[in-house]
Amino acid sequence: MDKREELIKIFSKDIRTILKQLSADFEQVQEIRLRIHAPLLMIYNNHEYYITPEGNLSKRAEEAYMVSRQELKETLEYMSNYSLYAFEEEIKQGFITIQGGHRIGIAGKTIADEHGIRSMKFISFINVRLSHQVRGCASMVLPYLYSGGEIQHTLIISPPRCGKTTLLRDIIRQVSNGTGPEPGLTVGVIDERSEIGACYQGIPQNELGIRTDILDCCPKVQGMMMLIRTMSPRVIAVDEIGSREDLEAIEYVMNCGCKLIATVHGSSIEDIKQKPVLRKMVMERWFERYIILNNRGKVGNVDQIYDSRGTKLYPVGVECI
Amino acid sequence: MNLQFVLKFTGAILIIAGSAGYGYSLAARYGQRLRELEQLRQMIFLLKGQITYASAPLQEAFEVVGDRTEGALSRLFGRVAGRIEAQQGEAFYRIWQEEVAGSEQDGLAMEQSDRQVLGELGEHLGFLDKEMQERNLLLYLEQLDLRIGDLRAHKTERCRIYSSLGIMGGLFLTILLV
Repeated sequence: MDKREELIKIFSKDIRTILKQLSADFEQVQEIRLRIHAPLLMIYNNHEYYITPEGNLSKRAEEAYMVSRQELKETLEYMSNYSLYAFEEEIKQGFITIQGGHRIGIAGKTIADEHGIRSMKFISFINVRLSHQVRGCASMVLPYLYSGGEIQHTLIISPPRCGKTTLLRDIIRQVSNGTGPEPGLTVGVIDERSEIGACYQGIPQNELGIRTDILDCCPKVQGMMMLIRTMSPRVIAVDEIGSREDLEAIEYVMNCGCKLIATVHGSSIEDIKQKPVLRKMVMERWFERYIILNNRGKVGNVDQIYDSRGTKLYPVGVECI
Repeated sequence: MNLQFVLKFTGAILIIAGSAGYGYSLAARYGQRLRELEQLRQMIFLLKGQITYASAPLQEAFEVVGDRTEGALSRLFGRVAGRIEAQQGEAFYRIWQEEVAGSEQDGLAMEQSDRQVLGELGEHLGFLDKEMQERNLLLYLEQLDLRIGDLRAHKTERCRIYSSLGIMGGLFLTILLV
């Protein structure tokens, strides 16, 4: 089943018909957005378009197809395979992962109690984010991550939507499979929001390598401890660190002799030094490599690679994704 | 004269046998309906377990429960799982209603009223949260228990009535005709 068919199935009947007529290349589709009583939108090749009832992409709002409440309800039913209850935990976090690794962000009225968000009702906004793996996007940076034949503790620093998870995913895949002279290593991935492996019913939809174990939807702190005790990984990979609890768990990982590859939101080392928790990690030189991404020109542009002392290892910004 | 007697006698035997057979088949159907409702009760319990404890989506839950059991109800669950998987863009309620209605041809002995209540179960399946799923299934189980209790309480007398009425009806018809 190709990407288009796999994806079209999750929409209501009318939207299906429109998307079937669409001549766009689904490999270039990044997002499809549905909001009640609002136009059907598509982010295609980094540009936003309205989708017309005839199945064309348009820049004119008046030509757009308007999404109704019923269609949104139907879409929710189909994307969850008529089983919204089975995604209770994911809904609390605001997303559902479907077959193919695509993530569906949802927003509506949240129901909260003293333990936090309990559920969500009147879901009125849906953002279908298409998963794109870019195999080989880490090839350019990988040689910098090894020193003396050993992988280094690495932190990927990047503003949102600059491809940090995509880069992390490919680093995991290549470290796990082995690359060039470097043998493959056992990698443990704690995939708190199902973004890295995009597991659907426990099976990763993205390729993460042959020596990779994934704890899906698991809180990072507990997950890191658990994986070390149970799966004896050589490398631990996590996405979006930053809380005080993460700090303790990371310290534990590093003291266990495991190598850590993590990502964090930020634009430079200076930027993350402003955050108290991360500042400690940088000042005490926990990480041995920093990869800074930006989206100058193109998503996934590697801006710089530094070592723990802040020495530049990567002289010019080279597009790698 | 002799031939006429033989014909009458054979006719009478056939009428009595047919009528008694009909009576017995009604009694057997009553028993089968009771067994089906008992099996359905067990299947709904399994379904509830799949949904509430294993957090299985409906397709998986129906498939697992269908695989663990046998007969027309098992096939019904299997067909529903298949149609969910096909994702043809139909509401679950419609899929469920159609399959429940169609299961009569598949040898299901349940009565129209049983099928109607079972069909209504599909109205609330799937969309709400787990707690509501559980309550919905428990409510159906309660209704099912009442039906089963009622059928069990009257099983002996009903089966006796069906079979004896079958024979008596046959005899009566024979006397009328002869």
